[in-house]
Order: sequence, then structure tokens, then C-alpha cells
Amino acid sequence: MDKVAIVGVAQTKYEAEKIDQTYMELTFEVVKKLHNQLGITNDDVGSVITGSNDFNDGRTIANMAVQDGVGSVRKSESRVSGDSAFAYVYAAMRVLSGEYDTVLVVSHSKCSDGDQFLINNSIFDPFYQRHLGLDQISAAGLMANMYMSKYGITEEQAAKVVAKNRKNALMNPFAHLQKEISVDDVLKSPMLAYPLKELDFPPFSDGAVAMLLTNEKNAKKFTDNPVWLKGYGSCTDAYYFGHRTMTDLIALELASKEAYKMAGITDPIKQLDVCEISENFSTHELMIYEGLGFCGKGEGGKFMDSGETQMSGNIPVNPSGGILSTNVAMANGLIRIAEIALQLMGKAEKRQVADAKTGLVYGMNGICSQGNCVLIFGGD
Amino acid sequence: MVREKGEFQIRWKTDLPYKWAIGKLAVKYFEELKKRRIMGSKCPKCGKRHMPPRGVCADCFVEMTVDDMVEFSRKGTLKGFTVVNYPFVDPNTGAMRPFPYGYVICQLDGADTYLMHFCDETDHTKFKIGQRVEAVFCDELPKDHNSYRPELKGDIYDIPFIRLLKDEEV
Amino acid sequence: MPKHDVAVVGIGQTKFRSKRRDVNIPEMIYEAVRMALDDANLEIKDIDALLIGNMDHFEGINFSELWTGIDACGFYLKPIVKIATGGTTGSSLGICGYYNIASGIYDKVLVVGWEKLNEGGATTGIITAFDPVWERPSLAGALGPLALMANIYASKYGVERSMKAAADVVVKNRSNAANNEFAHLQMPNITTDFVMSSQMISYPLRLHDCCPQSEGACAMIYANENEAKKITDNPAWFKGVSTAHYYTFGCDDIMYNLPTATIASKHIYKKVGIKDPVKDLDVAEIYEPTSWSELAWCEALGFCDFGQYAKLLDDGVTQMGGELPVNPSGGVLSTNPIGATALVRFAEAAIQIMGRGGKRQVPDAEVAMGMGFGGSLWTELCILGKDPKPLR
Repeated sequence: MDKVAIVGVAQTKYEAEKIDQTYMELTFEVVKKLHNQLGITNDDVGSVITGSNDFNDGRTIANMAVQDGVGSVRKSESRVSGDSAFAYVYAAMRVLSGEYDTVLVVSHSKCSDGDQFLINNSIFDPFYQRHLGLDQISAAGLMANMYMSKYGITEEQAAKVVAKNRKNALMNPFAHLQKEISVDDVLKSPMLAYPLKELDFPPFSDGAVAMLLTNEKNAKKFTDNPVWLKGYGSCTDAYYFGHRTMTDLIALELASKEAYKMAGITDPIKQLDVCEISENFSTHELMIYEGLGFCGKGEGGKFMDSGETQMSGNIPVNPSGGILSTNVAMANGLIRIAEIALQLMGKAEKRQVADAKTGLVYGMNGICSQGNCVLIFGGD
Repeated sequence: MVREKGEFQIRWKTDLPYKWAIGKLAVKYFEELKKRRIMGSKCPKCGKRHMPPRGVCADCFVEMTVDDMVEFSRKGTLKGFTVVNYPFVDPNTGAMRPFPYGYVICQLDGADTYLMHFCDETDHTKFKIGQRVEAVFCDELPKDHNSYRPELKGDIYDIPFIRLLKDEEV
Repeated sequence: MPKHDVAVVGIGQTKFRSKRRDVNIPEMIYEAVRMALDDANLEIKDIDALLIGNMDHFEGINFSELWTGIDACGFYLKPIVKIATGGTTGSSLGICGYYNIASGIYDKVLVVGWEKLNEGGATTGIITAFDPVWERPSLAGALGPLALMANIYASKYGVERSMKAAADVVVKNRSNAANNEFAHLQMPNITTDFVMSSQMISYPLRLHDCCPQSEGACAMIYANENEAKKITDNPAWFKGVSTAHYYTFGCDDIMYNLPTATIASKHIYKKVGIKDPVKDLDVAEIYEPTSWSELAWCEALGFCDFGQYAKLLDDGVTQMGGELPVNPSGGVLSTNPIGATALVRFAEAAIQIMGRGGKRQVPDAEVAMGMGFGGSLWTELCILGKDPKPLR
């Protein structure tokens, strides 16, 4: 595969409600920050890809709201509707085609704008599933229940994930929730969808993220530490909950195998230095460990117990605090990519994993990992 | 949620509530509107005067703030018009929007961009592109008018429509 | 030249109709997908990825690609991505497919655009595309702004002349549609008088100046140069694509003459080596949501000077048999399933190159243009030909 690099990233501080800013102003803030960081202007950007979702923004053609803010007037801009990890992939394709030297990727969401439960309920088809009132919370409860029952995962093991990520977030100045919580706090929080409790779920956050991609020829003009795409895999699971394998993320497994093969990864724990994954609830992260091949089927809980995914472990997962600390709906995937880019550039400050050279990103679409995108990045 | 079963179809109706931030410049716009001032924003770099006011000048890619706001006249020039004559559901109210209604593009004196709004004229032969128009405030209307309100509140209903100025008023 | 050349190797369309009560959404899309697969003699397992799109609000289903991609297109355990950009959805999908292949990430992709417009409210949905404070209260869907633009055009170039030219466009396109078995509104005997006596919808647009609301799907299969030759010896090749976007607020510029079409066409003509579009293009499938739009858009694309399309039409240049037939398929005036419409333009351009247009075939078509339009007046273009090289 030819080379495509991330040469700069910018994020807003993620908050519960960015009440002062319209979508245009929100994306302008992060894109202008990126321009200033790289010393470029709009004229240096060849094309723009955005990531957003109509239901989340409450606007049809949601990308229309941000044209002025991303600098796409008189330029080519396109929008991937869904998680922005897929927007990154499309942008990378534009660079790899050879037709653009620089492509800007921007994603935003304001969870505070709409009713997140109704928005997620609208994902379900109106024939068999929607009137059951299913949304991301109850669906997660079902999945967690089946997973934990099959493999004997405990609520404590799930709670450890939350404690880890919330503690990591303290080192991330952009993260939304910046308060440490204990395993006990999680276990004592009110039950939302058995067996998942309130603190097993992420918050709702507002924010935006942007990054600039370029080709091998131009990378060093922008930074001494470009971050290269090494591997990519994508896979989609069944739609109807009755068709899904609720105890294993089989589509994630297939996507990660594809990405590992492309990147030459045969031993993920040894060869990966840091991971940023899209964990939408506590047990989800345990299932993701298994899907990514960090441990065997049903061993996610034990793997959490082993401490390997803590900052001090062999394969730190979510040094940024993950989605459990910052949940910006559509921007989540691109935020994971931005965080890995910062790690591989050596710019992750307090949350830096030492000598990070290879990183993994997992971006997720839909309810409970129906859409999966695995990306491997390398710093050299 | 109302669900009725048809023979081949399932019907569905949901209220999806949203609240959107309008931005600092819009907040100032509505405050000033109460004082009968129509404000837009001027780009500090190129000087383009935008109506409506917004936080970014797209041509320069530069920020505009509340300090960059300038006042426009309530009078302007008609740039385009039509009379909408078909039924549709208004997503703001969930009900059918009453029609026919006049719909115009006008350029307020002082602005470099244009404004789309209602017009109280519904006979397309009465419009002429280039004629003078004026924004109407709700408290200036006759008391029995649908859009009359006794005072300005600082919201979109303060200017319910644009009015075509008669020749003698120009 | 891109890293890999991109060929269209299979095409499928449903017969577009006002209401397809006989099928649900996945069943409707499957018809187009099945047709495209049969056309290319491929199965789902042979295809690497799916790009699918529609406008979520029109059918009221969020993340619809997670349902339709699996149930309608059979992409279980494969990559699915959704591109959705309003009226340009189809062309954005077509262009994304181009980059999927041109980048070398995938060798064969399936591109699907669809809409089941009469299951939701299109005008209501379109209004929500605009700013809630400044634009929505008075906005009248897509037709309101298009009427404003048509009116400005009329006042500049003559009301009588423009009204007649617009009616002539409807006659051309809807009688062309009678040669296209997929088109929604086929009116072989339509007359200018019939159009000009229809009800005034939004001055100066009359009922028959406006496009319908259709239901249906369109599917295209793309392959790179290595795979294409294994599939067919008669592909249509992409010579180039271009896109131009504009301001967020619809009224930051008076856009009756579609500036983005001028920007996008200049860009693509340079890339593909087109000096005189009327001479160098053999056929154009442009996106005309109203008949008046064809007048302004063709001028913006450089087919003639501003204000002169009426003459081009009268001289027969853009009629079937003319030097540059515009919309042999019937165009958007005959068929408008919003998520698919722009992709149908690309598909019809490909059909012309492949020589499969039947009664609507333009003889010896070697260079064809497809256009997408939508959003805050954006334009997307593609040029297809018998080989991927530029003309000059």
C-alpha cells in the first residue's frame, strides 16, 4: 500500500453542552486551530471530508451546516454519514488515489442537541424492533447479559474497565469527565439495563476534531513525525438482534484480522504499543479485547484482571479515557485516531505511552458494534 | 408515538425534539432587534458585511465576534420573489404551513449578502425586481393583524415579513 | 491520472414509480442490486465493499445502511459505508466509489443509491437541511428557492422567452423519457401548451416545470483495470470527477446561475482536456430539478453563454439527434428518487458509453457527462468514456 500520513490533529475541549457555538463555529474552532498549528491556510487544503449524522444534528444534509466552518467553499467536500473513522478512511483513499496532496478530515457532534435515546431508537427498523423501545442502553444490557452469562464475566471485572478509563481521563486535558471513580462507585450506581448500571455507560458530550492527511512526498513539510496508515480492515455484523452473535464480536474479529494482515501484525500484544478503542459500555471493552485477539474467547474479564491494558501494562488501552469519559457520537472514531496520532508523534503529554511506535484504532458504527473499522498506525 | 396498521404499511409518528445553539452573534442580534436595530457582522479582514450575522467569514476563513457587528437599514432592495402555492408540513410546527405566501430575497441597505423571508404580497404581478422593500416590525401592524404583537420580544416573530414599498413611499 | 483506473462494469435500476407499495425498502433495493450483479455476472462474494446512501430523514430511519446494506445488498460480514449529501447523494456515492477503486484499497465495489420518498415527507425533510433560526421559518422546501432563482433568471433574460424555453425543456425531457423503460414520468405526447397551462406552483414554476417524487434504487458496480477486463469487454471508464461546494447560507450569494457548476466544470474540463463542451461531449445527463434549472445549469457548465440556452434548445443542439443531447433518459424532470437521482445520471452516462441505451442511445457516444446537484447549491460532475485517458 502507498503511504498516507496524518501530519496534524486538533481537538476541542469536550463538554456536556457547548451552548455558545453553532455547528459552523464549533468546526471552525478546531479547523482554525489546526491551520494555525501547521502554519497553513485554506488554500493549502485540497479537499475536505466530514463525518456527521443527520439524526444527531437534527438537520437533513448535516454537513451543509459546517461548510463555512471547514473551509470547503468553492472546494470539494464530501460527507460520510456514520462514525468518523470511516471518514478518515475515505480521506485516506483520496490521498492514495494521487489526486489530492492534502485532505482535511473533520467530525463533530453535539449530543446535547437531541434526545439520544430517541435518536438511537430510530436506528431500529419500524417493523419488528423499533416499537420494543430498543435503544443503545437496552441493547447494551441484552448484549452484556448474554456475554457475561456465557463466559462467567463478573460485574467487578466490567467495573474495572470504567475505573481504568475514568482515571486515564485525568491525564487528558480534552476529556469531558475528569473525575476518578472506583469499582465500588460503579457497582453502587443505579441499574439502567440489567446488568449494566449508570456508570457502566458513557456520558453525552459535545465537541469536534480535525486532522490533516497528506502523501509521502509532502509529509515532512508539515511535521517531523508523520503518522502512517499501516493496516485497515472493515466488517459489518447482522442487523437484526436476533441474527447477531451477541456473545462475541465476530465482525470485529474479521476486521482486525484483515488489518493485522495488512500491517504484518502476528502478535498483537507484543507488536502493538497502544490502543484507542470505541468502548460504548464497560463489558463492551472486554468483548473488544477478545475480538482484537488480545486474549481467547471468554477471557476478556481475566485479561482486564491481569492489568495488561492499564497504563503500566504491556498494551495500554484508552490512555485518553475512551468513550466512557468522552462520548461525542459521530466524532468518536476520529478522536480515537487523533489520540493515537498524538501518541505516535510523542505529543500525548501526561498520557504518553513511552516509545509508542505502533498503535491500533477501533471505530464502531451503529448499535453494539454492528459496523467495525480497525486501523493500524505506525510512527515511522 | 402513534402507530396504525394499514394493509401494506405501518404508520409511525414521532416527535424528535432538538435544541440548537444559535451562537453569540445571534444572541446579540435578537437583543438589538428589541431596540429596532437589525445587525449583521462585518469581516475584520475583507470587510464583507454578512446578513445574517455569523461567527465565520467563509471567504477569508476568519472569525467574526460580537464586536464585529454592524447595523443595517430596515429598508432594502428586492432581488427575487416567488409566491409559494403548494401544501407541505412545516417541520417547525408539525402542521401544514398556510399557503399561498410571498417569499422574497432582498438585500438590506448596508449588507453585502441577502436575506430570504416572507412577504405579505401574494399576487406575483405586483412584484418588480429592484423595487424598494422594508422589514416590518410586529408592533407596527394593525391590532387585528395575525402577526401583530404589542411589543418586540427579541425573537424571529419581531419581523414577521418584508413589505413592498409603494412608489410614493420611496 | 489516478493510481488505478476506474471502470463501470455493471448497472441496475428499478422501474421508478411514485409509490412502490408492493415492496418494502430492502426488497426495493434488492431489485436494483440483483440486476447489477446479473449484469456483471458477479456475486456478492466477488465484491469487496458496499457504498450506499439515502437521506435518513425522508424515510425516518437512522443509520439506514446498517439495515439495507445487510438485508437488501447481502453485505453481511463485509465493509459498508454510507455517504449522504442531500441531492448530490448519488453523485457523492459515485465519486466515493471512484476513490475506493482509484486508491487501490478495493478492487471491486458496489455503489447503491435509493429513496422511498413517499414513505416520508420530502419537502418537510428538505426544510430541516437549513438553518433553524434564519432560514427554516420561511423556507418552502427545495421548490421555493428554485422558484426564486428561476424568477431572477426570467427577469434578466426575458420572462416570455424563458417561460417558453422552460416548457420546451419539459417537452424534450419527458418525451425522451418515453424511450427509457426505467423512467417514472413518460409523456411521449406532451406539448408546450400543456406545460404552460398547468397550475402555478410557485411563480414562475408551474406544476409540470417541477420534478416528481419517485421511489426506487440504482446500483453500479465499479472495478479497476485488472478486474474490469475479467468481467466485461465493454466497460465505461471514468475520465475524471469533480466537486464544488459553496456557502452554508443559501442566500450568501444570488446563485441563479449556479457558480459551483462553473467551478466544477472548469476543473473537470481541464483535467479531462475538454476545450469546447458542446463539441467534445457526445451526451450529457445533467441534474435539472426544474425545467428552468436546465436553462441556467447548462449555461453554467459552459454549453453556451449566459442567457442563451433557449437558442441552443431552439436550434436543436440539445435535442435527441443534436450535437449534444441533454438528458436522453428523461432527466430529473422525469425521475427523482432523491438518494438515487444523481447516481442515475452517472449510470445513464455509463449506459450511453456502453451503447446499451436502446431507443435512447445517442449514436457513437464516446464521451459522456453526469451531474449531481443539491445541498446549498453544490455541483458534482463525472466524465465517462471508452477509455480512462484525457481527450488531449
